[in-house]
Amino acid sequence: MKLLGIVGSAAEESYNRQLLQYIEKEFATKFDLELIEVKDLPLFDESNDQTESVAIQNLNRKVLRADGVIIATAEHNHTITPGLKSLIEWLSFKIHPLANKPVLIVGCSFYDQGTSRAQLHLRQILESPGVNAIAMPGNEFLLGNVKEAFDEFGNLKDDKTRTFLQATLQKFMKFISVVSKLDETKDQLPDEDLQARGSVATTIPDVDMSSDHWVEEAAAKVHPVKGDTYVQLDHGILTVDQIDELLKSMPFEITFVDGNNQFLYFNHTEDSKNMFAHRKPEQVGNPIGNCHPARTHEHVKQVISMLRAGKLDSFHMPVPHGPGKYVVHNYQALHDTDGNYSGINEYILDFQPIIDWYLKKTGKQLVGGKVDAVSGASKKDTVEKPDAVSSASKKDDTEKPDATSGASEKVSRQQPDAISGASEKD
Amino acid sequence: MKKLIGIVGTNAANSTNRQLLQFMQKHFQKDATIELMEIQNLPMFNKPTTDKLPEIITEMAAKIEAADGVIISTAEYDHSAPAALLNALDWLSYNIYPFVDKPVMVTGASYGALGSSRAQAQLRQVLDAPELHAMIMPSSEFLLGNSLNAFTEDGQLKDATTIEKLEGIFADFLLFVDIAKQLKNAHAANKKAAADFDWDKIK
Ligand SMILES: Cc1cc2nc3c(=O)[nH]c(=O)nc-3n(C[C@H](O)[C@H](O)[C@@H](O)COP(=O)(O)O)c2cc1C
Ligand SMILES: Cc1cc2nc3c(=O)[nH]c(=O)nc-3n(C[C@H](O)[C@H](O)[C@H](O)COP(=O)(O)O)c2cc1C
Repeated sequence: MKLLGIVGSAAEESYNRQLLQYIEKEFATKFDLELIEVKDLPLFDESNDQTESVAIQNLNRKVLRADGVIIATAEHNHTITPGLKSLIEWLSFKIHPLANKPVLIVGCSFYDQGTSRAQLHLRQILESPGVNAIAMPGNEFLLGNVKEAFDEFGNLKDDKTRTFLQATLQKFMKFISVVSKLDETKDQLPDEDLQARGSVATTIPDVDMSSDHWVEEAAAKVHPVKGDTYVQLDHGILTVDQIDELLKSMPFEITFVDGNNQFLYFNHTEDSKNMFAHRKPEQVGNPIGNCHPARTHEHVKQVISMLRAGKLDSFHMPVPHGPGKYVVHNYQALHDTDGNYSGINEYILDFQPIIDWYLKKTGKQLVGGKVDAVSGASKKDTVEKPDAVSSASKKDDTEKPDATSGASEKVSRQQPDAISGASEKD
Repeated sequence: MKKLIGIVGTNAANSTNRQLLQFMQKHFQKDATIELMEIQNLPMFNKPTTDKLPEIITEMAAKIEAADGVIISTAEYDHSAPAALLNALDWLSYNIYPFVDKPVMVTGASYGALGSSRAQAQLRQVLDAPELHAMIMPSSEFLLGNSLNAFTEDGQLKDATTIEKLEGIFADFLLFVDIAKQLKNAHAANKKAAADFDWDKIK
């Protein structure tokens, strides 16, 4: 794997350079890291276009060839350095090599949490349409107290920091492979019909899928068993009521979408407004295309096609639902006994109570300084970007798809559209 | 009459932000003198280890020191302020502190509809950093969207509502400058705090 490391400080002596040099050396068996210096480039000037210069053309080629980019940013006056900003401007003016490139943001500073503001700005910059890079969501690697951090051989002294860095880089490598998978399969996989115009063996014919009373109308056709009728399962025997009770007792929201992209079921335990995904009984039966705004369709299609093709077995996307929660939307492919794709189980789960319970019971603590080890996300009030597959985005004129995620921008309280579920269209 | 500096927040040769400041310079000439300050041709900030700053920087700093207030009109590149502007601000906060408690009005122009809103939001955070510590006029966003079509050939803003909005904010800014003058009790301490401030030492 070939990665590029951008030294986001023009200083002669730079800790950010040192961090990248350390990564280069320490992870040499995992990937090849080539360092790029912002100080070697001219300051961006729109009226003196140097895109064709050797320095910028070389940089362009290197970025294009790299599987991913690690940017180590210093923080100057609460933002990134002019040198780093200038490099990004050159790469978003006449050429756009960072487009769809997986990027990992790291940063060193003299004190704890030092580059967090710069990192947040950098994320916003990378997301802008001219740059259009795909910053790995959630993760923040801040190396605080950097003056104490390295030994005389340029190695990180602290074990925990080393472990955390390693975990972050591993995650990044995985992220790169997911992103590239999404990229390459986009064109090859057959298109998904979100309007469910086809059918599968279990599709109930001649019922209006978009009817508010689809369940009753479909029931009139097929006369499903209900109540205390026994059903044999693998493995056991339950009544329909017992199956219902069982599903409703699950500590998460479940949605079932069949192989024809029709929304067939959710465990209805709450009012729509109290659910993470605001499902309504009358939406059941809908083609899932009706449950999402059109702008999310491409991403929904992409993920379903990958689940159907077996390129992915499941997809997980954390979605902000306010403080004190860590809600993840999970898309799990379903298969029949012959292994054929038969639909999606979407389950939406708040992990935070589980994490809290685990910590309480074991007396363990999250490590990594102020970094939240579970999510890798910093606990500060930065709004985490959903690393979504299908999530909706509310955006201004510069909306652009984010190949991995489909989610974009950082509207905090936004309600995501689930892949298989209902959106809040009201 | 108040003396203001208008910093052209881009190094581009043709700039609608420069046009905006030139318009303000003319339009408000009865109320204030606005001297335009360019940030072109500054060296890239590289945290030099010598104490000596480029002369052009110390000259700029002296002008800012002497001014009653500063208007910064920022372009928007990639949803943030241009590197050239960040560069100027880094130099102007490196062992010199001309912005400390200086009343600053932020404006911006962009080709798109949003008028540099994201760049302005970031810029405000920048100006709030300890070594700049500007006194940023609050609640006064002036966004000039679709800036390529905003001016007549002789540099007038075309839209009357936009002019009205700008006049309101500018009048407020002049008041803000006066108020800021009265807030000088802490100034000496703030200056010292900025000068003593060391990223090395905070925890
Ligand atoms: C003009 C200037 C402004 C700075 N502002 C910040 C800041 O806002 N936050 C911060 O954590 N560090 C700030 N610092 C300290 C830098 O983060 C530090 O010097 C950084 O450059 C270390 O990274 P490097 O060794 O890779 O250059 C500032 C330094 C300078 C020279
Ligand atoms: C590298 C680059 C990035 C740009 N990014 C943006 C942007 O994020 N938003 C925007 O409105 N205009 C963007 N523009 C277009 C204009 O330069 C921008 O609107 C600017 O604010 C116009 O100000 P000026 O006329 O003073 O140069 C970009 C231009 C360049 C060269």
